[in-house]
Amino acid sequence: MSRGPLLFKDIDTPGLAALETYRAGGGYETLAEALGKRSPDECIEIVKASGLRGRGGAGFPTGLKWSFVPKQTTKPKYLVCNADESEPGTFKDRELMEKNPHLLIEGIILSAWAIQANTGYIYLRGEFDYIQRILDRAIADARTAGLIGANVLGTAFRFERYTHLGAGAYICGEETALLSSLEGYRGQPRLKPPFPAVEGLYACPTVVNNTETLMNVPHILKHGAAWYRQWGTEKSAGTKILSVSGRVKRPGNYEVPLGLPLSTLLDEHCGGMRDGLAIKAVIPGGSSVPPLPASMLSTGLDYESMNAAGTFLGSGGVIVIDDQTCLVDALWNITRFYEHESCGKCTPCREGTYWMSEVLERLEHGHGRESDIGLLEDVADNILGKSFCALGDAAAMPVQGFIQHFRAEFEYHVAHRRCMVNRRSAEIESRWGEAVRA
Amino acid sequence: MSATCRVRIDDHAIEVPAGTLVTDAARMAETHIPIFCSHQKLPPLGACRICVVEIGTPKRERDGKPVLGPDGEPVIAWMPKPQTACTTTVSDGMVVATRSPGAVKARQGVMEFLLVNHPLDCPVCDEGGECQLQDLAFAFGHDFSRMDEAKRTFVSEDLGPVVKKEANRCIVCMRCVRYCDEIMGDDALTAHQRGVHTEISSFDRQPLECEQCGNCIEVCPVGALTALPYRFKARPWDLRQHVTICPSCSNGCSVRLGVRGMEILRARGTEHRGVNQEYLCVHGRFGYEFVQSAERLSAPLVRAGGALAPASFDEAVALAATHLRAIAGAHGPGAIAFLGGETLNLEEQYLLQKLARAVLGTPHVDARTRFTAKVPGAALLRATGGGRPLVSFDEARGAREALVLFDDLQGESPFAQAVLIQGQHQRGLHLTVAHARRVKLARPKFGGDWLAVKPGGELALLHGLTRAALEAGGPEAPPPELAAARPALEASLAPWTAEAVERASGVSYAAIRAAAARLRSAQRKLVLFGRAVAEHPQAVALLQAIEHLGWVTGALTAERSFVMYLGPRNNSQGALDMGLTPDCLPGYVPVADAARRKPFEQQWGAALAPAPGMTAPEILAAAADGRVRALWIAGDDWLRSAPDRALAMRALETADLVIVSDLFLTETAKHAHVVFPASAFAEKEGVVVNCERRLQRSARALSPRRGSRPDWEIIQSVARALGAAWSYRTVEDVYREIARLTPGYQGTSYATLLPLGPQWSSPGAPAVAAALTPVAAPGAPAGRADGLSLLSGATLFLNDTVADRGTLLPKLAKAARAFLHPAEARSLGLGEGDRVELAGPGGRIELPVAIDDAVPEGSVFVPHAHPGVQLNRLGAPQGAGLRVAARRSGVAEKVGA
Repeated sequence: MSRGPLLFKDIDTPGLAALETYRAGGGYETLAEALGKRSPDECIEIVKASGLRGRGGAGFPTGLKWSFVPKQTTKPKYLVCNADESEPGTFKDRELMEKNPHLLIEGIILSAWAIQANTGYIYLRGEFDYIQRILDRAIADARTAGLIGANVLGTAFRFERYTHLGAGAYICGEETALLSSLEGYRGQPRLKPPFPAVEGLYACPTVVNNTETLMNVPHILKHGAAWYRQWGTEKSAGTKILSVSGRVKRPGNYEVPLGLPLSTLLDEHCGGMRDGLAIKAVIPGGSSVPPLPASMLSTGLDYESMNAAGTFLGSGGVIVIDDQTCLVDALWNITRFYEHESCGKCTPCREGTYWMSEVLERLEHGHGRESDIGLLEDVADNILGKSFCALGDAAAMPVQGFIQHFRAEFEYHVAHRRCMVNRRSAEIESRWGEAVRA
Repeated sequence: MSATCRVRIDDHAIEVPAGTLVTDAARMAETHIPIFCSHQKLPPLGACRICVVEIGTPKRERDGKPVLGPDGEPVIAWMPKPQTACTTTVSDGMVVATRSPGAVKARQGVMEFLLVNHPLDCPVCDEGGECQLQDLAFAFGHDFSRMDEAKRTFVSEDLGPVVKKEANRCIVCMRCVRYCDEIMGDDALTAHQRGVHTEISSFDRQPLECEQCGNCIEVCPVGALTALPYRFKARPWDLRQHVTICPSCSNGCSVRLGVRGMEILRARGTEHRGVNQEYLCVHGRFGYEFVQSAERLSAPLVRAGGALAPASFDEAVALAATHLRAIAGAHGPGAIAFLGGETLNLEEQYLLQKLARAVLGTPHVDARTRFTAKVPGAALLRATGGGRPLVSFDEARGAREALVLFDDLQGESPFAQAVLIQGQHQRGLHLTVAHARRVKLARPKFGGDWLAVKPGGELALLHGLTRAALEAGGPEAPPPELAAARPALEASLAPWTAEAVERASGVSYAAIRAAAARLRSAQRKLVLFGRAVAEHPQAVALLQAIEHLGWVTGALTAERSFVMYLGPRNNSQGALDMGLTPDCLPGYVPVADAARRKPFEQQWGAALAPAPGMTAPEILAAAADGRVRALWIAGDDWLRSAPDRALAMRALETADLVIVSDLFLTETAKHAHVVFPASAFAEKEGVVVNCERRLQRSARALSPRRGSRPDWEIIQSVARALGAAWSYRTVEDVYREIARLTPGYQGTSYATLLPLGPQWSSPGAPAVAAALTPVAAPGAPAGRADGLSLLSGATLFLNDTVADRGTLLPKLAKAARAFLHPAEARSLGLGEGDRVELAGPGGRIELPVAIDDAVPEGSVFVPHAHPGVQLNRLGAPQGAGLRVAARRSGVAEKVGA
């Protein structure tokens, strides 16, 4: 059974990672077509018209991003694929690259053609070393087949590409921090402007695109913008891969048209909740976005509807929180992640995540005060919009969202000095004990 | 886009240049926006977020016209989030709110975050009282803390002998890390870990391997980095702060001394003040210790019965005057010579030569005691283009190409080096460094070109550069006289063929050609040279060659380009300007020029001899022969500075009268008949001229050490005892006379010569045609010379000033050693730590060996400034330089084994 209309259509074809299999399914035909007869500008226009938006989390229109790259420049240009997939709850790029590396390679070459870049990099998160092997193999095959090298498919277009393994920092998923890391520096975000399209890798024009975004490009260029728009909504065109985790019956990656109601995804695709559990909250776009309470599950899975509901589609990491999970504990877990991953460059994020994490730890272990809830809200507000990059916002938004929707549970924690859902109290106590001993 | 933008900051409307940062615009509008991570010498970072403000721009129609509200004022579209003022550039019509509720809340939030992990140890923090975090917490913070969780903590570290690190106080502004990398070029600091655990330290957590300049301490806005020598010494509000001029080198940095009672407790730079602003090198920051040394002279000494004995000031003056008069009477005034004075203030230098020329009538005056050649007084000025205006250090950063000739700026001119490094790092300045050793600026890190000139090949390299520049077409827009003089110059350069140049200089002609082409084609270019040229036996030819190079590459004609002389001492330039040279009166007026001599004769009421006197090396020889009977040596340890120690010793022993004024009983002073205890730089007022020819008044920070007097008072007292009717009450009186008489100084006023005072320039630059005199042909290629070429120079921590009388700098400098290339050491059978004996024409010295591959083969590098090293024992260098024979010392260092 096909798992999705586009990227996941043939994803489970056995041996798809091999060049022959990929070609047998029509792979690299688009590349041959585009390099033969489509100008770079035409490619950008088609992608613009398709309404494709960045799938990494920010949802920036891809064609528009490409069009910012200066046409007249003596500097080399670079295309960087952001495969640092490190947003908690997101695991779509991993499956895509593991099973269909050539679609990514084709997408990258096509995108590089569109912006006239001769060098591409795939920045992989440190844990993806096995994917690096898969990609390197695929790249080697593509080079042998004349798809990469001095003359791509016999044309004058020269294209080289490399994979690079990160060293384990979440911040390196932020595009400018990624570029710093790729250059060999400390992985910290850079000042924008200048934007990477103007001054990116080695201060040269650079486009950084998410893996899933790039994999959409061959399909769009093959079938055209109108065809692509058959899925999704007016402003959120196409499909999106959602990584569903939590206690649903069938967690996993699902490719659905944008705009699909969240409840449809959870009930029909994922088969509903397990073991008679009920949904308490759903984080729709990776741990960085505010949660939706169970009452808002009819919200459409597209950028605009999510914004209207006070959250974001983000990277599409749908985290389902059941009614047996303590939200204070969940939020402490999330905040601890951001405290650990804050790069330390800017004050609000560096100090604020530490502070919130300390307060939540106290709260979770039954030592909270009534004022703590207001304090958390205010600290989060002082981070939000004041941090250097989006990591600070990502740490602040869940705090605000959890308290906004589930204030009662936090108050219960303060008043009763324990979780409202006391399912894991023994475990928590033992962990607390360890922390005290340590 | 218009050149200026109208901006409103709170209630202030102001027009600022386009491209101005909002923080700078706010400063102009006298609105305070706090900053931590931003620094005037570093590009915006935007990390600390304390400068957040709300910013709006006029809402515009589709056609670009601003939308007007009902009141006729443009409607402002406010940005949804607060913005960092330190990274935002202004745009026309921009409105900035620093006091709106949103901005205040954001700033207070950041302030609170900064204090989350900051310890409340202000009472025991050296920064307390001048801490930016403390000030801003007071201004913007809460009066209570909502943070009662445990703070994260680090262990404090000593990062070497000068930097103390208390990481708990660190707010991770990264100023220290960036300053160390971008301005100092040392890259000694880095951030370890991430997030709230970010900790600044050296890469390997070992003591810092760097210049120990302490600028990281200076730029630290909190007490995370503090100075170990100043630790727990004082509270800043107990200190009197005086800005004076550093006596360490010719760069003329302003140094802010913190004084309590009669003691200097620290030295700092000052933001937005002086040529250096916050920058100080290790000498500036820690080199003041000599001022309060217990070894300072506290009373005049006179020789009585073979030994020096304390005397009253009046006795010493009377004795000096009597003897001077007697010698002048018996042998004529020409038997008296004046040496030294490069470290005196301008007014003292003026009086010194006035005493010699007008009161005693001797023409033998020379401050340049280290020189080995007979260099005309105006030659150094001519090599820099006459009185051509010099570009400031500040502007030098924006040049495209800099050629550094033969000096290790790290030792000689640390601030000039920092300027070049900053220019290279931030503005794309390209460096070409001609030096026998791979000095700091020649390191690959700075992306420049290193011309590894063979010792003695300096002249060939310069002729090669000139030749290559002429081959490439010569100057872009030559003055007509230049075109006329060019054929003769080209003809005289003909024997300096590519092969001859390569052979003599050891640098490939291709590299020379490339360097000349860069210098010629760069729009703004700098050529810097210093004592390596001036003290060279071939100095006259080298200076002429530099002059040629300056003219043919355009360094002396192009806009905002310069050739700069970095003198060996803080006021070397002043000594030249004031005529402490035998052939020039103040303002480079030739003594032989009767018409221009006239004003001096009138003012001084004395007829001046039209014939130039003897230069320092000539005085040395004459005094050793007994032709000079009396010597006045001002602030100069002649036994160390004279090129030949044996000669100087003979001169001191032969002379009938030696008068020395100094801070210490130097070796020279021990041979004197009269010793005057002089006041130190911080104890007197006066003008100092730096290498930019900038006139800066050095303020008095302390009373003179008990018993000591400023040199100008000493000189005036002796002059009066000799019958001169001098009546200067203050140095300002002296300066007024200087400004009246001295070409180039006219129109300057003492009162206005604060730090960053004006740079003097002379309207009458010398004729170009005279500059382009033909050069001499190369001598016959020398056969294989025996021995090693002796390389010398100042090193980072010792530059042959009184600073080595302190404790910290000699400790940092470690013991004196002779540096040898590994291959050279091997062929001599020497290893690290073995003792080597170096023998020159005049004598021998013995030193432990250090192996260093930065020293070229066939040479030995001996830093000359170590107190224990008497390099001039080897004899005066001749010709292309000094050659010494090296052999393993007979004394076995390790017994046994």
